[in-house]
Amino acid sequence: MLAFVAPSIDYHAFAPELIVVAILAILVLVDCFTSDYDKSSQSSVAGFGLLLALIPVVTLAMDGTVRGMFGSPESGYAYVVDTYSLILKALFLVSGYVVVLLSQTYIAEGDYWEGEYYQLLLASILGMMVMASARDLVSIFVALELLSIPAYMLAAWRKRDLKSDEAGIKYYLMGVFASAVMLYGMSLIYGITGSTLLTEVAANLRQFPAGQVPPIVVLAVVFVLVGFGFKVSAVPFHTWAPDTYEGAPTPVTAFLAVASKAAGFVALMTLVFVAFPGNTSTIEPLMFALSAATMTVGNLIALRQTNIVRLLAYSGVAQAGYMLAPLAVYGVSGTVGLQAIIAYLLIYAAMNLGAFAVVITAARKTRSGEISSFGGLIQYAPSLAVLMCLFLFSLAGIPPLGGWFAKFAVFRALVGAETGWGYALAVLVGINSVIALFYYARVAKTMVMDPAPDGDLSPVRVPFSLRAALVITAMVTVAVGVLPGLVGHFTDSVTIGAALGS
Amino acid sequence: MLAQVSDVVDACAGQAECVTSYSDFLRSWLTVGIFVALGFVMAGAMLGIAMVLRPSSNRRGRFQEQKFITYESGVDPVGWSWTQTQVRYYIFALLFVLFDVEAVFIFPWATRLEIYDLFGLIEMLIFIAILALGLVYAVRKKVLQWL
Amino acid sequence: MDFNSGQFWSSPITYAVFLPAVGALVMLLIPRQQEMTHKVLALITSLVTLGIGIYILTQFDYSAGSRLQGVVDTNWIDAINARYIVGLDGISLPLFALTLLVVPLCVIYSMDHIPAPGNAKAFLILILVLETGMLGSFVAIDLVLFFVFFEVVLLPMYFLIGVWGGEQRQYASIKFFLYTLFGSALMIVAFLALYFLTKNPDGSAAQTFDIRQLQALSGSSIGRTTQLLIFGGMFVGFGIKVPMFPFHTWLPDAHTQAPTVGSVILAAVLLKLGTYGFVRIAIPVLPEAAQSWAPIIGLLAVIGIIYGALCCLAQTDMKRLIAFSSVAHMGYVMLGIATLTPFGINAAIFGMVAHGLITGMLFFLAGSTKERYHTLEIRRLGGLLKSAPRMGWILGFCSMASLGLPGLAGFWGEFPAILSSYNPANPTRATVLFGWSNEVVFRIFMVLAAIGTVLAAGYLLYLYQRVAFGEPKEEFADDPHIHDVNAFEWVSWVPLLVGIVLLGVYPNIVFSVTNETVAPAVQQIAAAVGGG
Repeated sequence: MLAFVAPSIDYHAFAPELIVVAILAILVLVDCFTSDYDKSSQSSVAGFGLLLALIPVVTLAMDGTVRGMFGSPESGYAYVVDTYSLILKALFLVSGYVVVLLSQTYIAEGDYWEGEYYQLLLASILGMMVMASARDLVSIFVALELLSIPAYMLAAWRKRDLKSDEAGIKYYLMGVFASAVMLYGMSLIYGITGSTLLTEVAANLRQFPAGQVPPIVVLAVVFVLVGFGFKVSAVPFHTWAPDTYEGAPTPVTAFLAVASKAAGFVALMTLVFVAFPGNTSTIEPLMFALSAATMTVGNLIALRQTNIVRLLAYSGVAQAGYMLAPLAVYGVSGTVGLQAIIAYLLIYAAMNLGAFAVVITAARKTRSGEISSFGGLIQYAPSLAVLMCLFLFSLAGIPPLGGWFAKFAVFRALVGAETGWGYALAVLVGINSVIALFYYARVAKTMVMDPAPDGDLSPVRVPFSLRAALVITAMVTVAVGVLPGLVGHFTDSVTIGAALGS
Repeated sequence: MLAQVSDVVDACAGQAECVTSYSDFLRSWLTVGIFVALGFVMAGAMLGIAMVLRPSSNRRGRFQEQKFITYESGVDPVGWSWTQTQVRYYIFALLFVLFDVEAVFIFPWATRLEIYDLFGLIEMLIFIAILALGLVYAVRKKVLQWL
Repeated sequence: MDFNSGQFWSSPITYAVFLPAVGALVMLLIPRQQEMTHKVLALITSLVTLGIGIYILTQFDYSAGSRLQGVVDTNWIDAINARYIVGLDGISLPLFALTLLVVPLCVIYSMDHIPAPGNAKAFLILILVLETGMLGSFVAIDLVLFFVFFEVVLLPMYFLIGVWGGEQRQYASIKFFLYTLFGSALMIVAFLALYFLTKNPDGSAAQTFDIRQLQALSGSSIGRTTQLLIFGGMFVGFGIKVPMFPFHTWLPDAHTQAPTVGSVILAAVLLKLGTYGFVRIAIPVLPEAAQSWAPIIGLLAVIGIIYGALCCLAQTDMKRLIAFSSVAHMGYVMLGIATLTPFGINAAIFGMVAHGLITGMLFFLAGSTKERYHTLEIRRLGGLLKSAPRMGWILGFCSMASLGLPGLAGFWGEFPAILSSYNPANPTRATVLFGWSNEVVFRIFMVLAAIGTVLAAGYLLYLYQRVAFGEPKEEFADDPHIHDVNAFEWVSWVPLLVGIVLLGVYPNIVFSVTNETVAPAVQQIAAAVGGG
């Protein structure tokens, strides 16, 4: 019998995850020994913990070496800490922190379970962080479940509300169904290639000459990607999103719309670029169709929405379409496309969280999600209205707000591919941006140009945590728009293949 | 149909220029289409065969009383089916399953204790500590109390 | 400050562009109630900006107008090699100066004309942000920078129309917004195509957004069909802004609904962004495609002239009439550009400035009329010369200028444009229009455009006659609201009126600056196509 050799573990590389686990344990402990009537410590510990976990992320980034674990230089690694994963971990941690800020008053004042809320939130964020580093089918799947299962519960957190129950159960059933489809695809891949390590999967799949790829490979690839299509709410797998977003507590909706979606994209990118770099003839048409359908359908349905959260949900669906677009030319654009998606994710997180922050703040007074209830916001809360305009027009992609650079990066990847498909998709993105502008502008119009529905012009009290969230997101949105180099500085160095020897 | 597809592949195998991106694209997506169609055919066939074979409740005018019994050809159900069970059984069962599954991870370690050495011991201690935390949580939430 | 220092922090251009934005930021921090502070701050900001502008005008080397001057070239977005490049030459200088002049006048006019529902703070902040966007667009020499400034203009205008506009303001504002954004979406795709397809002489990809480099390279390194497509993208983007004939429908709505100051800025400066885009970007960068598109541009321009004039004759609303006259006048500008001759493009640039002064002035008048009569229904107006004689005379003066009376600025915009189409570039080149040669096609255009001037005289005199002559209508006979031009109006109008006369009497003020630039640029175009 071979002697057991303990795997060499790079504790520095694991530090962010370990800190989150430790904070999670502390949260449970604190929850056990505090009064049921005062759980205010929970949100502070959770927020503090997320910021603490950022420290090793920063030190790792400054160090800059690529660290791989559980594998060998020849076969590749199952767990990799490189620029790609660090940027995304930072994204998850910061957006998690903003979600904690958003949740503080909402959960405390709403008579919901408070302790468990933050524990589940952190568990989900932990799953996302693992997802960013996972380079193995099994760890990707485990990460996916770790991030999804708490999210199912969070969606149903407004326990006595039928809509929230519907949100939770819909999300759960759809999510499980997607997991099953994906797992089926993964098992096929394992069967074909004999490995779960993504680099080995890629190497083995590359043995099939172009044009003679066995049908079963196509099937496996499509199933795996479709599974993540659910996660990122791509049409036609988007049907859960609006109902879930509307029913779930709004901070959770923000979390799902930003962090959870980003995690889905992370998995998609890892799989497409590391595991299936050669399967362009299968994936590109799939992504073209998904992207085109997602942005068009998302935008067209968003035009008819009267509820702000549903509108943001459909706008999020459409935005996912833009983010999928570079994958439709990934064979040619390669790293440029990868960087475009990451840049988009970072900017999208800031502006979408900002939009939700305004909705949460304003809803403290209006007590409604109907767009019409936000009429006259500029009169009694001018700064909120201005900020909302900022976020909405940023989502629409109007310079000099952050969103324009995100769209620009996508355009660049598409046009740079210099293929007919790329140009076609670029024009489609352009047309969709115009459609999208219509409903974003409609919300802005209601807030700025319509009178307050009940004539009540008493000011809105903005709690400190929400104020902090608004300031953070607004600053990022504007700063990135004026100096896109801020994002470019981080995303430019991102490659995913090089570190893995492929 | 599947056979035809593979025939095309075989025919192409000999000549390099036969493979065009078009046919490649269409062929790979044909597979997915076939698979989806097969899914429908399979489910349809199973339901269809069952429909043909099973005794119908009123085919040929015969009314079959046993079709309306909960367990066909089994034990006659007695009493009302909507009986209430104490919810705590559910929580106990859940806790049991939870810790039972975790035990599965502990057994292999226990059988190879000396090989895994100090590393394994520390890892397992952390694992058990987290489990214990869960137990503490359960106690504090008064889950283990009967009423 | 040193005009040619080339440094971001010491270039007066940088200060001129960003000062209004800084002023807006400062105003953002002052409570809304202090209206007077806001007005004074906005005025000071725009005047200081104008001061910097005058300094730039004094430093500009007029003997070398063809050269970009005061160039600043620093890193901006390294990832895509988009740089912060600004500079002025003979093409941009007149428009830059026009913008600098119009904005302070608008602020002065707003001193006692903040339209309903009030809120001077927001109103003035938006105007200052607009100024930054407009000035930036005219100095940007990098396509991405140009695009960003071009879009910065959108949002403030949307809110100006949507909040302070007339009855149909929300419809008009969203229409304006959607049209322009649709154009700019295609425009950015075209820019990116240029970025990727332009090759250096050695065959490597140039990957630059620098207009100067693109001008030197792209004409020769991109395939003909692709060039035509890229030009098409820019054509739609700029054409909507101008607006050219099939894309013009947003303009009457936006103008009619916009508040006075909004209309003035829209007419005086915003429309020029489109024509400026043609002269600065589309034509120099893709000269060969420009040759092929020229007859189509000319055709649409002439349709715009005739169609705009006919629409004017049918209008019952004074502001809407002026808006349609804009469509017609921008048609002359586009016709001048379409000839691709130095003469034509010179005329076009002059036309832009003249139209900015005259139509801006007409919108001021329309706004003041609306303020006094609470209506712009031409049928209900009348006898302006009796009830407010000075205003009546000014209206007459501006109508004359607009219809192209020699001696006033409008003449030098229209007449040379018509004249230049007698001799277009490449006279023998066959066009897509029935295969007729350029010469034939443009001479037909010339005749049609000349007919357009007659129509222009028709609708403007008809307007003037109904508004100013005769007795005041019954309902307004003794209305105390109808007073003559007041102090704020005088201060904001006199510079425009002086400008109209000055340019009319001595057009060389503009021509001498632009000619230097245009001639070499157009010769370059001709050279790129192999002498034509």
